[in-house]
Amino acid sequence: MKFISVNTASEFICFLVAFIFLLKDKSTTWKMLIAFLLLTCITEVTGIYMREFLQIRNYPVYNVYLLFECGFTSYFFYHLYRPYNYPIKWLYVWYGIFMLIFLSEMLHNNFKGFTSATASIMSVIFVLASLYFYYLKLRDEKFEPLLYSASFWWVNGALFFYFGSTACNIFMDYLAEYESITYNNSIRYIIYNVLDVIMYACWSYAFICRYRQRKLSFS
Amino acid sequence: MQISSKEVIFLIGLTSVIFLIAPLFLILYVLSYNRRKRKHQEDTLTMQKTFETELLKTQMEVQEQTLKTVAYDLHDNIGQLLSLTTITLSSVDLNDSPGATEKLALVEDLTMRSIKEVKALSRLLHGEEIVSRGLAAAIDFELEWLRRSDKFKINYSYNKEVIDLDAIKATILFRLFQEIINNIIQHAKATEINIDLNQNYDLCTLQITDNGIGFNVDEALIRKSGMGLHNIVKRSAMLQGSANITSSPAKGSSIIIKIPQQPTTNGKLKN
Repeated sequence: MKFISVNTASEFICFLVAFIFLLKDKSTTWKMLIAFLLLTCITEVTGIYMREFLQIRNYPVYNVYLLFECGFTSYFFYHLYRPYNYPIKWLYVWYGIFMLIFLSEMLHNNFKGFTSATASIMSVIFVLASLYFYYLKLRDEKFEPLLYSASFWWVNGALFFYFGSTACNIFMDYLAEYESITYNNSIRYIIYNVLDVIMYACWSYAFICRYRQRKLSFS
Repeated sequence: MQISSKEVIFLIGLTSVIFLIAPLFLILYVLSYNRRKRKHQEDTLTMQKTFETELLKTQMEVQEQTLKTVAYDLHDNIGQLLSLTTITLSSVDLNDSPGATEKLALVEDLTMRSIKEVKALSRLLHGEEIVSRGLAAAIDFELEWLRRSDKFKINYSYNKEVIDLDAIKATILFRLFQEIINNIIQHAKATEINIDLNQNYDLCTLQITDNGIGFNVDEALIRKSGMGLHNIVKRSAMLQGSANITSSPAKGSSIIIKIPQQPTTNGKLKN
């Protein structure tokens, strides 16, 4: 029962939705979301297992996951910008900067502890990336029904999550110290649950939109 | 004053809620802007369709006007020439050799004139071709028919640079010219018509003035019947131009149509 929480349930449902609606998608980038969500579920389960059953700290798992999260999410944003002739060099520059910050923090922490500063910076960058996506959409003269746009809803989900978690990220160390005993009733836990539900709901809807789009283009 | 841990946590929670509401409003703004974009696109499409319909109507009117001119010329000119030819031929007396020779020469002259008229009519029937020769030439060609009537003194001047109007603008402007001339013939009781076609760097100007009886511009614009002045104003606006109509009873009238052209970066005119 310890594996089932709002967090894991929302992630798993989103993974199932992605699996059903994106499996036959033409775009490899969109299909990669299935693998990414599976990885998220595995990370979450592993984290719980380490914390609850092995009674050890699970930050190494989340540190490794952070690399995948940044890698995939950044690439996905690049994929969304590509129709607007966005140069790939900025993606590589960002990857370089991220790795530099990540390794610096790891060294600073002596490889003990979650790289919260890197996660905070990454969140800020993803918020900016979401805003840039809106800017591109507003500037685009071509009309697109955004209510049914998969990319728009994917970005909405990302923005809600990364913007909403900013306060938690900034005070991560403080909250971690204060809530170390009662994590399951903590404010951080509640906020992340709410954010997860919102993000995965938006993403699930985006996958349905994507499926609908594919079906409409066939008919 | 020290802030307790509970207060800090409450503040973090509150900030997170605010940080959740902010994207919501942002998304709503993007969606509302997008709706406006759709409306703008629909409006543009409607305007484009209206423009195309109006253009088609204009082209049909040019053709109709051409056919009217043809019918008028067939009846009044070629018809008369052929009637005269028939009468002359029937009066030929073969026994009167010198008289017959003279009459046959007259018949030959009449036939040649008829052929010339038919050729001119044939050229006129190709309405689109006339406009494709350039607006200035098309107006000149149209005025040729008017000059024959000897009812008006016509002064036509044009700037040789008026060559850059595209086919759509030229057709509409040509049609406006036709209608203004028609109005003058039918209503103005004028004896003199002045036409001036000019093009400055980015503005094509067609000015038509007459010395007729004039009319009340405001009343004529309100009437909106037929092609009329209302349509002249509307079609000029359709080309992002303007029509300035000035007239007063017994003082003739003047219509100035200005159609803008967009200059290209290399200084040439773009249609």
